[in-house]
Amino acid sequence: MTDVEFMASDVPNIFDMARFKKGFSIDITRYEGNDMTFHMKGISCAVANSLRRIMLAETPTVAIEHVFILNNTSLISDEMLSHRLGLLPLNLHPRYLKYRLDGEPATELNTVILKMKLSCHYQPDGTLKNEKVYAEALKWLPHGSEIPDETGCKFVRPQVKFMPGVDPVNADILLAKLRLGQQIELEAHCVKGVGEEHAKWSPVATAWYRFMPEVVLLQPVKDELAKELAGELPGLITVDSDGSAVVNDPLEHDVLLEKVRAMSGEPKWQDVLQLRKVKDHFIFTIESTGAWRPHEIFEYAVKLMMAKCDKVLEGLQKYPPPSDLGAEEWMED
Amino acid sequence: MFGDDEDLAVAEDQEIEENDAWAVISAYFEEKGLVRQQLDSFNGFINSSLQEIVDENSLITVTPNNQHNPGQSLEEEAESTTYEIKFGQIYLSKPTFVEADGETVAIFPKEARLRNLTYAAPLYVDLEKRVITRRPGPDGEGEESEEHVTPYDKVFLGDVPIMLRSDYCNLHGRSERDLSDLGECPYDQGGYFIINGSEKVLIAQERMANNHVYVFRKSQPSKYAFQAECRSVCEGSVRASSSMSVRMLSRAGAKKGAGQCIRATLPYIRSDIPLLVVFRALGFTADRDILEHIVYDFGDDAMLEALRPSIEEAFPIGDQEVALDYIGKRGTTVGATRERRVAYARDLLEKEFLPHISMEPACETRKAYFLGYVVHRLLLVALGRRDEDDRDHYGNKRLDLGGPLLANLFRALFRKLGKDTRAHVQRCVDRGREINLTAAVNKDTISRGLKYSLATGNWGVLGGPGELRPGVTQVLNRLTYASTLSHLRRINSPIGREGKLAKPRQLHNTQWGMICPAETPEGQACGLVKNLALMTYVSVGCAAGPLLEFLEECATEALEDIAPGVVARATKILVNGVWVGVHRDPGDLVARLRAMRRHVDIETEVGVVHDIPLRELRLTTDAGRCCRPLFIVQDRRLRVRKRDVVALQARDETGFSWDSLIEAGAIEYVDVEEEETTMMAMSIHDLKAAREDPLHAYSDTYTHCEIHPAMILGVCASIVPFPDHNQSPRNTYQSAMGKQAMGINTIVAIACYSGYNQEDSTMMNQSSIDRGIFRSIFFRSYKTEERKQGSIVQEFIERPSREITAGMRHGTYDKLDDDGIAAPGTRVSGDDVVIGKTSPIPDDGSGMPQRFTKRDCSSSLRHSESGMVDAVLLTTGADGQRFVKMRVRSIRIPQVGDKFASRHGQKGTIGITYTQEDMPFTAEGIVPDLIINPHAIPSRMTIGHLVEALMSKVAACLGKEGDATPFTAVTVEDISTLLHGCGYQQRGWETMYNGHTGRALAAPIFLNPTYYQRLKHMVDDKIHARGRGPVQILTRQPVEGRARDGGLRFGEMERDCIISHGASAFLKERLFDQSDAYRVHVCERCGLIAVANLKKNQYYCTACKNTTGIVAVHLPYACKLLFQELMAMCIAPRMQF
Repeated sequence: MTDVEFMASDVPNIFDMARFKKGFSIDITRYEGNDMTFHMKGISCAVANSLRRIMLAETPTVAIEHVFILNNTSLISDEMLSHRLGLLPLNLHPRYLKYRLDGEPATELNTVILKMKLSCHYQPDGTLKNEKVYAEALKWLPHGSEIPDETGCKFVRPQVKFMPGVDPVNADILLAKLRLGQQIELEAHCVKGVGEEHAKWSPVATAWYRFMPEVVLLQPVKDELAKELAGELPGLITVDSDGSAVVNDPLEHDVLLEKVRAMSGEPKWQDVLQLRKVKDHFIFTIESTGAWRPHEIFEYAVKLMMAKCDKVLEGLQKYPPPSDLGAEEWMED
Repeated sequence: MFGDDEDLAVAEDQEIEENDAWAVISAYFEEKGLVRQQLDSFNGFINSSLQEIVDENSLITVTPNNQHNPGQSLEEEAESTTYEIKFGQIYLSKPTFVEADGETVAIFPKEARLRNLTYAAPLYVDLEKRVITRRPGPDGEGEESEEHVTPYDKVFLGDVPIMLRSDYCNLHGRSERDLSDLGECPYDQGGYFIINGSEKVLIAQERMANNHVYVFRKSQPSKYAFQAECRSVCEGSVRASSSMSVRMLSRAGAKKGAGQCIRATLPYIRSDIPLLVVFRALGFTADRDILEHIVYDFGDDAMLEALRPSIEEAFPIGDQEVALDYIGKRGTTVGATRERRVAYARDLLEKEFLPHISMEPACETRKAYFLGYVVHRLLLVALGRRDEDDRDHYGNKRLDLGGPLLANLFRALFRKLGKDTRAHVQRCVDRGREINLTAAVNKDTISRGLKYSLATGNWGVLGGPGELRPGVTQVLNRLTYASTLSHLRRINSPIGREGKLAKPRQLHNTQWGMICPAETPEGQACGLVKNLALMTYVSVGCAAGPLLEFLEECATEALEDIAPGVVARATKILVNGVWVGVHRDPGDLVARLRAMRRHVDIETEVGVVHDIPLRELRLTTDAGRCCRPLFIVQDRRLRVRKRDVVALQARDETGFSWDSLIEAGAIEYVDVEEEETTMMAMSIHDLKAAREDPLHAYSDTYTHCEIHPAMILGVCASIVPFPDHNQSPRNTYQSAMGKQAMGINTIVAIACYSGYNQEDSTMMNQSSIDRGIFRSIFFRSYKTEERKQGSIVQEFIERPSREITAGMRHGTYDKLDDDGIAAPGTRVSGDDVVIGKTSPIPDDGSGMPQRFTKRDCSSSLRHSESGMVDAVLLTTGADGQRFVKMRVRSIRIPQVGDKFASRHGQKGTIGITYTQEDMPFTAEGIVPDLIINPHAIPSRMTIGHLVEALMSKVAACLGKEGDATPFTAVTVEDISTLLHGCGYQQRGWETMYNGHTGRALAAPIFLNPTYYQRLKHMVDDKIHARGRGPVQILTRQPVEGRARDGGLRFGEMERDCIISHGASAFLKERLFDQSDAYRVHVCERCGLIAVANLKKNQYYCTACKNTTGIVAVHLPYACKLLFQELMAMCIAPRMQF
């Protein structure tokens, strides 16, 4: 069987375990705070995309879902304030909570409660306090709702026993502005959910990949032409000791790539230069909102995908394999 | 070089550059704002018109009507008493309001809006009563008179609604801080009124200019070939205009052998008068005298020849008396004596003929000259030396703004008041009662009259003379700031919308710079409703007196003093259409007039038009002319210098302002007519070219230069980025859409992606929606008051109780608080009652205890809406009644079906929303907020859309603002180069990856930031369906409209579908059996409907008087109704079986 027959997007479509094992690699190139970039080579883009989609839409986080407003005399309306609260990333790993399913009562197992109570008033030094309300004003209520009858949320035991504290990832997010004498008092109930349902539960600001760019010299470039090319694309193309042009890492010279693309269309360079994409080499970037470490999100995505695959296999279990070979043997072959 | 004073001085004397014009433009808008025309006009009304109108009709004289007094001889009555009432000085206070308890308080607009009051100021007038008694002198000779004067100071005349931010507004001159403390928006520009709490704009009304001579070629076949007309209106006169026209017979219209005579139409004269008869009636009898007034140059044989038939026609009427009689006979003098006819004609010529020249006696010379001039103009056209006049020339148009409109209304009302006062005084005098002027002046006439017209838009006095002009005021559009501004700058042409004539609707060359070329509605009002361009100034009108004095000083020869022969050699001088004299050196005069205007020695708005081909100098000072500021050019150089701009930029310190620029003679206002006598450079660059290379320049005689060509646009069209790259109707569409939009910067991809954006639908990113894109708040307010009957309160705001209240609504009353009003923060929906109110049911007098003592008249929420109670206002209204306003808020989240548009007339609705993971993404991880279809672009040619997107990307990359002003030097190539420099593809394309499959999309995608607008049309406001519901009482057909839960019409085309489908049984079942079935009893004999009493089993045909042979018939109720209506019209529809 040749690869050519099963090509999709210039990548062999047929899965070969041995080849996969040999060609596959993951290489983290950047890890700063909540951001992470890594290269993943030798995999189909369907798989890469599935992982991306799971990270965006199916990886759970905890976010404010119900806001009980006891008092809000500020200018911002209840709905707008609640919407802003909902979008706050919270510092709580979702594993500490269960999903709260439809019709289930709110308990300490599926709900975390935050409270905010403040008013704008003069301080002894004559300055106004709480003119601006920041996310840090939200305080965790480990013992549950202070108004359980209204909210319908009753805790059997305090949450301190089984989870660390909850607070917003970014304490400095502006939620509202107050004028003298205005007050806000509310209770925010947070539940676990996934980005599919609402973007606030997405653990990432965004997560995406791109193909590895590749600058190719279609023919050996030497001497004068090489110098000219190196002048046009400083750094990306250099001239080595014997006077021929060498292509350096395109990622180092990202901003020049557009120029390469433009040049490859010009008559002068079209036979010399080409910009290509390596279609089984993905450069992933994950920008976490902070509830998860970025690599955990990816790890979770892989695991979730495996679980999904298992589920599929489980479903197929009822039927015997096509021949007398067992499934494993078939794979080994 | 640095800090070198000399160099700096040279630099300061330099000419300004293109960009410096913006300093001038910002100074203009900062000082004048965008509703200056409204404010100026209203201030003019208050400051001068008001007093002028009062002075015009200030004197009321009453003499007692002779009563028959038995036993009194005539001698004793020789003593006569005259009563005079004089209106003097008027006083206008600041806006106030008289509370129900009698307290007078200053009122601010916010309060007027909230409490549904009228923002008006009381007007007072000084009155004087003069009783003059005359009796014959003691010795029977001479007369003795005695005067008795009683002054009445500051008598209340009525309330005058005050325009916001005008000189008399309580907000005038307040600082921004003050304004926000008063609850006013510092960005609000005023220019409107508040009548009963609603904001009313006076729409400028376009009309033809008065006192102009227009010559038209009549379309043949017609009796006349040419017509010269002049609508003459005396300045500040009460009288309506008096039209005069001079017409030349067509060849077909002329009697055989008579030739093409010229006839004049005079007011109140039934038939046309031969031209020369009019001249003779004015006292010019000799043919030569008359011809001298028409043909200035006797060498002009052609023109003399053209007059021959007219001379011959008037030959029998040789002298003035005969001519006057000729005219008098054709007037309204049936059966009068010759003397009276002559006197009538003389009076007519004095008072009604060309009143703008004079209404005094002894002005025949001037009127004759003017008539001659009108004929001269007619002949010029008849002889083919000039084209006919252009009706649509904007120089021939005037705009009646708030000031003149209010002045006319006030004049009519004041005259009515005068009449009423006079009647009252007359009654007092006749009945011998004491005259009390305070009671005689009806305080309601003016207050009510102004309020009525402003509130309804019906302009005019109810029950007074003339028709009411509808639609002069409108409720101010507050949907967006731009729509408000645009509304305040709107112009209406009161021409029938049905008129097929395209010409008045078309953009005229002379509208350049005055009227926005893009902003006009589509459909019936297209081109008739217009909007002012950004820098248009509408003249307020100023006195012509100083001008006339100056002209006299400058050797202008008055018409009375010259021999007619002089006219041929001199230039005619017309001031506001009145020919005042001639001048022999017009060039010098024009230069001096212009110089004076530039030094503000005469008003800046005076128009100076030197019409060289016509040998005329027309000066105009009237109100309603469109003017615009232009840079003055002298010796191919702007008069503005760099130092002026520098001073202007630091105007807070230097105090140098826009007005300083005018005073310095750097800028002047030029009206439409004068604009045609100027040579205008489009840009400063043109001047430079003219200086450097006069041979190849377009012109080297520039007199003015545009401040910036972008100023030709109006408020809404100025919002379009790069409108000069769009197909022009697209700018018009955007100008209309911008009025219902709120916008935000979004990332827009132009791509085909899954196909849910076909036919102007768009795809929106659901994750962006989750994160709050285009979220908006919708407010609706509900109002209720406790209505009174006299002083007895008839209604009570309370929680109706079910036990004693009749007619309770079907919605829930649970949301009401104890006071009968839903509290702020309550979630309300559907038909919930939000304000409870009851009115007592009067005792039926039967003495029986009634079950219900109250009737419910609560207000409930619109049944298709829901939201939260945002705010509640509990106050008292104008009559001190309890008054409640409630504001309900709902958050609108974008959803499928909501309407969106870019700023290029590209509108569409959401076809699908995709979450982030389904959206395509770029190599940088950018996901679009919106995906529009590429097919929206080619046929519509909205290149501006693409250029805007491209520039937005550059601006986003550089963190700067981009300049999308039209008519500047920015090119796509420039933007592309910058974009390429940022590492992006030059044309804004990006490689994207499919969110579903993860593969790269085959085509590069145009993905850029674009400013998108959410329009007010949202599905939630439109969605409607009904199974069963309310029907009309009369026809029993479903009611119409969503608001009433109405039905959706199953029309004849739908019916046809079912019939052609072969399902007529279904049709009968749906439309008849299930919807409209009815049963009647019909007399088989006569076929008419009979009376049936089913309970008693009695049947009776009233027509045949029989009780047998009556059958039950099933028929649609609509059919039964038709039969009954026919019977009401005396047609008997008989049903035969």
